[in-house]
Amino acid sequence: MGESRNQAATPELLHYRPWRGAFRPPIASVWPIARVALMSLFRKWMFWVIYVLGLLIFLLFFFGQYLLSWAQTQAGETEVQLGGWGRTNPRQLIQLFRGLLKLDGGPQTYHNFFSYQGYIVMIVLALAGSILIGNDLRFGSLPFYLSKPLSRWHYLLGKGLAVAVFINLMTTVPALLLYAQWGLLESWDYFYERFDLLLGILGYGAVLTVTLTLLLLATATWLRRTVPLIMTWTTLFFFFRLLASALVDGLRFSPRWRLIDLWNSTSLIGRTCLGVPPRPMAFANQPPWHEAALILGGVSLLCLIYLIRRIQAVEIVR
Amino acid sequence: MPDLLDSPDSGRGDRPLTAGLDLSFHETINPNHSLTVAAPTAAPLLLCQRVSKWYGPVIGVNQVTLELRSGITGLVGANGAGKSTLLRLITGHLRPDLGCIQVRGWDAWSTEARQHVGYCPETDAFYEEMSGRQFVESMARLCGYSRREARKRTEAVLERVGMAGRAERRLRGYSKGMRQRIKLAQALLHDPELLVLDEPLSGIDPVGRWEFIRLFRDLAALGKCLLISSHELEELEKLTDHIAIMAHGRIAAVGTVAQIRDRLDNHPLLIRIDVRGHSHAEHGNEREARRLAAALLKLRDVVGVELLDSPPDESVDPVLVRARNPQRFFQELTHLVLEEWYEIARLETLDDSTQAVLGYLLRGCSA
Repeated sequence: MGESRNQAATPELLHYRPWRGAFRPPIASVWPIARVALMSLFRKWMFWVIYVLGLLIFLLFFFGQYLLSWAQTQAGETEVQLGGWGRTNPRQLIQLFRGLLKLDGGPQTYHNFFSYQGYIVMIVLALAGSILIGNDLRFGSLPFYLSKPLSRWHYLLGKGLAVAVFINLMTTVPALLLYAQWGLLESWDYFYERFDLLLGILGYGAVLTVTLTLLLLATATWLRRTVPLIMTWTTLFFFFRLLASALVDGLRFSPRWRLIDLWNSTSLIGRTCLGVPPRPMAFANQPPWHEAALILGGVSLLCLIYLIRRIQAVEIVR
Repeated sequence: MPDLLDSPDSGRGDRPLTAGLDLSFHETINPNHSLTVAAPTAAPLLLCQRVSKWYGPVIGVNQVTLELRSGITGLVGANGAGKSTLLRLITGHLRPDLGCIQVRGWDAWSTEARQHVGYCPETDAFYEEMSGRQFVESMARLCGYSRREARKRTEAVLERVGMAGRAERRLRGYSKGMRQRIKLAQALLHDPELLVLDEPLSGIDPVGRWEFIRLFRDLAALGKCLLISSHELEELEKLTDHIAIMAHGRIAAVGTVAQIRDRLDNHPLLIRIDVRGHSHAEHGNEREARRLAAALLKLRDVVGVELLDSPPDESVDPVLVRARNPQRFFQELTHLVLEEWYEIARLETLDDSTQAVLGYLLRGCSA
């Protein structure tokens, strides 16, 4: 040890100056955690196939709206012959297409868009749950986070933020782009007259974000592995949907049985947020939206309680 | 059992205070000792007080009391002794069921305490798609640094652990040694006062080990406190002679290896003394060895003497002595040698290495 003491007496200094600034508060570490999680999501090439699919859906809506709007400006007042079916005004024909395809900047347009993108989001989240949080618990990456000056809440907030950013990048942000596009194509008055749609888009996005984020964090913390996570999500969002449909439509049970279908519940609330007019036949078999909201709120609360208990449990470190 | 905290010669020169030796598993720190959380700078760097942790019905850490201020302390013990649990408690990953752990006066569970602690875990589960530089920089951001400062710190620590030139590669392609370096780099980022290292030398090549040992010594010389859990006892001995031995969830002993060895009364120290006889006498060596053995048996701390066969190519006769209270024995031996004028060719203690001490203690604990 004498030799070591002599060597230790002339230390080789670390190559950085002492830190004299103030450390940022632990809440500032939430974004870096989310950033790392998002990077790990975007690094998986397999997911890019699904992202491209989501992009195609967005482009379909975007250029659909654009082409129909452009075609309407090009159409004259002269009536055209439609084969043997008679003559019609092209503008009316385009208007008919817009109505049929729901590419008219109305509430149904955004609801459809959210529904299609929602499927993509569900698939990615089911696959990515273990990457985002499960593997940290399973393989022991958590000590790297928790040895830094932040709490478990900041860790979960960071992961939750990553999920929330991803959901909104896939749904709310492109929906807002469609909203902006329609206003620019048609009339600036659209932004003023249909401001409720903007709020509806944000509301629907918020419902999806809160519900899916909490559900993913809870299930990924609980199950950790990819396959059980996919099976659970498939059960929740696919088999329960089939079961609800069989019970209500097939066996004529109370429409309240549809409440076991969480995806239907989010859709119901989304319709309410956007102000989608009810379709008499299809909507007759639906429960009221406030019951769906109660169920989603209950599920979110349960997930939150589970996460609180899990955070307090010391076994979080394996 | 006497307590090293009370003994005047217990502390090392560069270590103001260390926890006490506790072979009989009773407490060494006054439980009424009050702590001033409001004035963290006055508090010891690490203070564990009667810390216990259960995993269901199994106790992981049992009434552990430990206090560290500076220098390097090795944490050794058999598998399942509770070392990793203790490290996790100290780094705030686990919360004790009983007792308290404080770092600079802050509860180890708090974020304030973690600003003083750097942790290098045993597991190396990284995000394999990231490069070493990206990983360390991400960790730097979690420490509370701005992006610019985080980059600077990252480059500094990567250079310090010898990874600056290899940090662009993805983590999945790293060897075990490179992973250890990256783990150490992320622990050093915020220049912590207390470094908790779980098996830091595992999987590192000899050159790398020497570099790490030098780095640890440098850090200790800069006033840092290092708590190193390791099974590499030989390497640990090169680093420090101050160890904490854990057995069955308890701190069985804390102190320098010599101090702990001195207290092992049930295991007299084995000392080999090679005696060289007077050259003019026939069988001079053997006669001298017998004379020394007889004299040694008269010493109060000697419990046994054995005459060994001489080595074929050496003109010495070895005597094997078993003695209690080594400190007093060596004083009396010195007097004896000077008075009787024995020519001692070599004096060697055979079982005072960390390995031997650990073996005695663990056997004692399991008995």
